[in-house]
Amino acid sequence: MKIYSCCGTDSITKKHACPTCRESKHEEKEVSDKGTVYSYTKIHIAPAEFADIAPYNVVLVDLDEANAKVTARIQEDVEIGDAVKLSRVEKGAYVYEKVSNTSAVV
Amino acid sequence: MTNVYVHGIGMTKFGKLDSSLKELLLEASTEALNDAGRPKIDAVFVGNFMGGSISNQEILGALIANDLGLGYIPSTKVEGACASGGIAFRQGVIGVLSGEYDTVLIAGVEKMKHASTPDVTQAINSAMDTTSTEKHAGLTFPGFFGVLANRYFYETGASKEHLARVALKNRENGVRNPLAQFPKPTSLEEIMAARMITDPLGLFDCSPMTDGAAAIVISRKKSPIHVRSSAQVSGPTQMQDAVDLLSIPAIGESGRLAYEKAGVGPEDIDVVEIHDCFSMTEIIATEELGFFNRLEGWKAVEEGRTKVTGDKPVNTSGGLLSRGHPIGATGIAQLYQLVRQLRGNAANQVANTPRLALAQNLGGTGSYSTVHILERV
Repeated sequence: MKIYSCCGTDSITKKHACPTCRESKHEEKEVSDKGTVYSYTKIHIAPAEFADIAPYNVVLVDLDEANAKVTARIQEDVEIGDAVKLSRVEKGAYVYEKVSNTSAVV
Repeated sequence: MTNVYVHGIGMTKFGKLDSSLKELLLEASTEALNDAGRPKIDAVFVGNFMGGSISNQEILGALIANDLGLGYIPSTKVEGACASGGIAFRQGVIGVLSGEYDTVLIAGVEKMKHASTPDVTQAINSAMDTTSTEKHAGLTFPGFFGVLANRYFYETGASKEHLARVALKNRENGVRNPLAQFPKPTSLEEIMAARMITDPLGLFDCSPMTDGAAAIVISRKKSPIHVRSSAQVSGPTQMQDAVDLLSIPAIGESGRLAYEKAGVGPEDIDVVEIHDCFSMTEIIATEELGFFNRLEGWKAVEEGRTKVTGDKPVNTSGGLLSRGHPIGATGIAQLYQLVRQLRGNAANQVANTPRLALAQNLGGTGSYSTVHILERV
């Protein structure tokens, strides 16, 4: 997963300019897509384009290898602190999945 | 401090209405103009979000100027998602402050009830960064505040019952406001058991789709209601960009600026209208605006401090949750309620006629926030 860093801030989104130095000199680095669930919701009432898959879970994932979070969809129901990893990228969305043996993840 | 004063206010009933966008605008504007004594208007600003996408109607400023016979004057529509009304008001204030205009009419309007819920939800989603991965993941506005609420519960002692208490308070206020959308009383039990919209937010935790309009006339000429300060800030446009999920910096920073310009602090404010698009948002906003400590807004709800009879009455109109949320009208409707509080003739009038009132209007998931402080002089 690609992370953009500048002036000590990591982000999953690439800004045109850094909010601190206002330059466009982000360092790109590749980090693991693994992380933990920071928070979540199950969306029952969806906009028209997602109505066919509702209800569905959206999670905010705290990445293990960066000081950044990523918003993703996830199949399973989750709790805060659950270990998750990227399953696939689908129509521009990150789709995550639970790491099967959570207890083995430190 | 500004040299701007409020001269007139107007507001339609909020709810499901047969009137067109134009008719709603004209009704609220006429009432505000009459309340102000029919002054000569130098400019019009209109707050509106989805007239184009849902009603196929733009040129709202010119419609008012033309149909109300205001003459060949400048008129402008302002869009800032759910903060469209607050931003339109601020543009009017700046217009007077600049010296360009003496007297300005600002109106806000939205018509939503004629469209289906998925279509309205889709239109509202245009206030997200539509190129972002999180939009493609299916995040919605209620979804953002659902994610925020679950984390808030995790980090504090708050629970769904505290959200329900916000919804119940605002419904109790709405029931006593004849212009509010929801006249029907409810109970904590009914709120807690209502169908889920986005976990943990149920039906009563979410502001409704609403038709309605509100309007206000301001001028450099003095009146008993002084616009003491006006502030506006932009913030992160994506949840995954938030430095701290439990903070909405646009609210905090717009509040800080408004207090600084007015020379007052949160402890001086007597009555408040804040942007409770969701019950969770009201709690976060009361923290961001400095009324309560960070991560302790839920305790103030538990203690009844934000009720009409509390020491910091919040949303005496019923708020977005029960007055209703016709998006572009909301920021102006907040000011309507506060002007009536300062005049001493509001629905749910606060005791000992308040002197300082604060309105906070939010757009997107923290993309825009305006704060206005009004003073009875």
